[in-house]
Amino acid sequence: MTVVTANKLLGDPVDRVDGPLKVTGAAPYPSDVTYPGLVHAVLVQSTIAAGTIRSIDAADAEAAPGVLAVITHENAPALAEGPMTPLLGPAPPSPLKDNRILHHGQHVAIVVAETLEQATAAARLVRIDYEETAPVLGIDNPEAAVLRNPWGLETQRGDAAAALASAEVVYDETFAIAAGTNNPLGLFATVARWEGDRLIVHESTQWPTMARQTLATVFNVPENDVQVLVPYLGGGFGAGLRTWPHAILTALAARLVDRPVKLVLTRPQMFTSVGHRAETTQRLRLGATRAGRLVAIDHVGTSTLGAEAANMEFISIETGAAYACPNVATHDRQVRLNIPSPGWMRGPGSEGNFAIESALDELSYTLGIDPLELRLRNYAEVHPQSGLPWSSKALRECYRVGAERFGWTRRTPEIGSMREGNWLVGYGMAGVTFGGAQLPCQVRVSIRRDGSAHVRSAATDIGTGTYTVATQLAAELLGLDIGQVRVEIGDSDLAPAPPSGGSSLATSLGGAIRDAAGNLLRAFLNVLAEDHRSPLQGRRRDDVTAADGRIHLVDDPSVGETYSDILARHELDELAADGEINPQADGAGMAPSGPFAARFAEVRIDAELGLLRVARIVSAVDAGRILNEKLARSQIIGATVMGIGMTMLEETIFDPGSGRIANATFGDYLIPVNADVPDLDVVFVGEPDRFSPIGSKGLGEVGIVGVSAAIANAVYHATGRRIRSLPITIDQLL
Amino acid sequence: MDIVSTLRVNRTERPFTADTRTTLLDALREQLDLTGTKKGCDQGACGACTVLLDGKRVLSCLSLAAQCEGREVTTIEGLARDGKLHPVQAAFIRHDGFQCGYCTPGQIMSAVALLKEGRAGSDEEIREFMSGNLCRCGAYPNIVAAIREVARLGSESQ
Amino acid sequence: MNAFEYVRPDDVAGAVTMVSRDPHASYLAGGTTLLDLVLKDGVVELGRVVDITRLPLRGISRGDDTLRVGALTTMEELAADPTVTERLPFVREALLLGASPQLRNMATVGGNILQRTRCRYFRDPTVAACNKRAPGSGCAAVTGVARMHAILGARAACIALHASDLCVPLVALDAVVHIQGVGGKRSVPLTEFYVLPGDRPDIENVLQHGELITEVEVPLLPVNARSGYLKVRDRASYEFALTSAAAALLIEDGTIARARLALGGVGTIPRRAREAEELLNGAPAVNQTFRAAAEVALRDPFTVSGTAFKVELAKRTIVRILQTVSGVQS
Repeated sequence: MTVVTANKLLGDPVDRVDGPLKVTGAAPYPSDVTYPGLVHAVLVQSTIAAGTIRSIDAADAEAAPGVLAVITHENAPALAEGPMTPLLGPAPPSPLKDNRILHHGQHVAIVVAETLEQATAAARLVRIDYEETAPVLGIDNPEAAVLRNPWGLETQRGDAAAALASAEVVYDETFAIAAGTNNPLGLFATVARWEGDRLIVHESTQWPTMARQTLATVFNVPENDVQVLVPYLGGGFGAGLRTWPHAILTALAARLVDRPVKLVLTRPQMFTSVGHRAETTQRLRLGATRAGRLVAIDHVGTSTLGAEAANMEFISIETGAAYACPNVATHDRQVRLNIPSPGWMRGPGSEGNFAIESALDELSYTLGIDPLELRLRNYAEVHPQSGLPWSSKALRECYRVGAERFGWTRRTPEIGSMREGNWLVGYGMAGVTFGGAQLPCQVRVSIRRDGSAHVRSAATDIGTGTYTVATQLAAELLGLDIGQVRVEIGDSDLAPAPPSGGSSLATSLGGAIRDAAGNLLRAFLNVLAEDHRSPLQGRRRDDVTAADGRIHLVDDPSVGETYSDILARHELDELAADGEINPQADGAGMAPSGPFAARFAEVRIDAELGLLRVARIVSAVDAGRILNEKLARSQIIGATVMGIGMTMLEETIFDPGSGRIANATFGDYLIPVNADVPDLDVVFVGEPDRFSPIGSKGLGEVGIVGVSAAIANAVYHATGRRIRSLPITIDQLL
Repeated sequence: MDIVSTLRVNRTERPFTADTRTTLLDALREQLDLTGTKKGCDQGACGACTVLLDGKRVLSCLSLAAQCEGREVTTIEGLARDGKLHPVQAAFIRHDGFQCGYCTPGQIMSAVALLKEGRAGSDEEIREFMSGNLCRCGAYPNIVAAIREVARLGSESQ
Repeated sequence: MNAFEYVRPDDVAGAVTMVSRDPHASYLAGGTTLLDLVLKDGVVELGRVVDITRLPLRGISRGDDTLRVGALTTMEELAADPTVTERLPFVREALLLGASPQLRNMATVGGNILQRTRCRYFRDPTVAACNKRAPGSGCAAVTGVARMHAILGARAACIALHASDLCVPLVALDAVVHIQGVGGKRSVPLTEFYVLPGDRPDIENVLQHGELITEVEVPLLPVNARSGYLKVRDRASYEFALTSAAAALLIEDGTIARARLALGGVGTIPRRAREAEELLNGAPAVNQTFRAAAEVALRDPFTVSGTAFKVELAKRTIVRILQTVSGVQS
């Protein structure tokens, strides 16, 4: 199973180590937690999108059976604002600050009662008198405030305007993508309990370290007095990157009623309370030569934003990196509206890929060049902005292997030229260049006298496989069986970790584990430094390696001894070491690569009825070293399914007059079901990344990127209809 | 209004006191400490709360606990016998038929019923008759593979 | 969602008396509509829930040319009935294309007929304007976000859709609803059971408070008839219809001897397409006939911007099901 140490690409397809807990219903998610005396909270949300609360009549609610408290801005203590968050910017505004309403669905009260039924009933009795003002709604609303270049991340190279003016071929189109909602299946829940001034919170979060910091700041208590626990999370997809107001309200309620309080958001509240993918529009202009060389890209991306919230929707973040084009200008815009705060939803930036990869497909028809060939003609051999070599890039191999598995050469280029029975058949493809980060991460690894290892970090497993790959890595690096390694995560008391987000955690935590494993071997050698009974006395780190539960000489495996023997002889219960990674900001002379991919889609269209079905998708992915092939494949498959949803089904619709989300249920906001999804082919190519300490690049998000363009391009190939807005629904194909 | 009632859950009589408004789902989770059954939408639109009622798959979020008095409820906790996983549970692990695991109890209960209903004849049939169970992690192809395998092994062993 | 009393009467007469006497009482069968509206959406407030699931109204019996279906028969049970498979295949198709297996194990035939609209403006009590929920308050859907809404029988006062699949073939078949009230029993054809919204969208059918559907009588199709149900939707499964159509045809020598046609996904009530049937009866089974029938069936639609596309989609749905059932190529 040696992967990292043997420099192999593919890690063993080990079954998920948390599988038995999950298939028996025994894995504890935050909403499963209970305590003696636990009581239930239910939120009351604003029914207007803008204005103020004139008065609140909570008398009936307070008098209802079982009610312990009705907390509103009128009786809530002032709370501090949350801290500035790395990666994400300012925290969402703290709740119940004043009587202002900034969006429909804003939390205006929290009702606590002995039972869930009592709290639900009482919440409906809270009467609120609003002074309503006209909300600012609609991404193209001229009255909305617009932020320009809000993050200072716009790309400028060469002279895009001049190059466009003189280009042989010019492309100029606009794209629109509906707002989407993350909708993890697990309803977000908070169970909060105060022990004196110490706060314990079981919280649906992707980032316990940051949740702890946020709650400590808001409640003005030392960070060490806050513990955030989330051993299992029912999915996140970005929704759990923030510590949202409902969590703060639950902790506040627990303090005020002096009982453990549980709040489980309803599914409709999941649409308004934990972020969503912003609605976006894009204008994309390309200049090219008749031979298919890109000479200019000008990309304007506009996204929606909450009235006083912060978010980064990186629409055009990869535009400058994707192709070898000398003149590039990107422009970021955000439009402030009276809507719930957008946030990250799996693969921010995938919107820009939809525009670029659709545009290249259009260009391929204009120029009469095969879409795949057009991409190869503009291949970025080095990072086109910095000119530095990529730390790894196997996009060309993605194209080659993907096209081969898909049978791209069977595609006949004419529109509508492929059929199967009554169905029109279309082939489409897209290239993917995506970001991924390594973030500072710490871990503690120990070995006990029974020979077992213990890996502890405040990281999380949101379904991505953190438990499993951390187990595999520790076992490999310490020379143990997988069954001898126990991974403990999801607890903010453990070593600080970055979020499970931004395709960053496996590489960051893996790098820290590698560091810790090395330190742990050093610690063992230190113990043996004066131990003349040990064959390893006086040896250095480089002299030894570990296998079969023992440390031995690299040169002579027969010379060594087991961890257990060492610990027993020295009367130690365990030996621990810390590890960390602090990625070099300058990239060490390389352009740190994210993952790359090529996506190939075949669609079937019933042109009479407008029915669109995906027949198959082939994904060839370069994500550097693959730590566990089985779980990695699942990541790509799962993200592809979400991409199918984004492309064909999902749309969070705001009522144009009221700002209320018109389809905030699972019956009305459609995510893919089993019958929507064909078998999905995934292949990994490339080599271990040079900038990553364990050779891996993130693959949690890349699977969603490129799906939309590949499908839309296939729709065009089948029907001649170029659809530049998502989702692509029946009415657009009639 | 409280009711005092008894549910027969996983072959065991479980007396409980609850509100008349309490759903079977909330009774299992909040009263009987059987939290394996999950709440994903609480409106009959996701399948996470699927349990077997008298052997048939139903949604516990749209059933009153009071309605289920005297009927046999089987939850995910009642599937494994003597510490041995049900074949569907084992196949879900082998085929990685889940990621976050939250919809998994509902998927597995639904799959167990589907096999009993004889609806695992083809991948297409499995997909259609598993479509009442949403999986946001998108494990559908692996879920189909797991069910396909159990169906095949089952028919081979007969 | 105030507290309510839960009772489980032993016999039909007792249940009918109990609900008839109490304006705040309601029957509870499969629960898939009622509990959603009471517990989750908070649209309906009840004082008493009368659980009828153990009353002897479950089961299917076959007469010479009808099927008698107890109102508490579940959708899955009806779909599994051999007579339905053999003589009412489009009923089976409609059943299995509805909801999910779990819901079909719960939802009853009587409840399916009485299901409430899925309109999100109706189902969200924080929306003030809903004539169905609060007569005279207006209709937020007509100026709001409408897609899963009606275009036939709709008007500015209400565009709420009756989303049943099962009822589409049932109205095509002239199924009859048997009803028991405190005053006795009566029977109403399903085509006359529903009430168009008119000025009172809150009145949806002819039932008086306390009347209970006990049985549905479904005429069997002739042995040589062919039938089909087509459901068009964005998602491949587990979604209500954008449009649907149920058709049964008796074709003799290329001529349609007898047609039955009904539409789903487009009507405030399950929509029998009688004028289209008249056009089809006696006409040659060719595409021209089918298109003409579709045009007639969709005459005078009431559309808003979000539902306008459904007019053409419904026509194509009709044409396609007629083609499929008749075996005529498009």
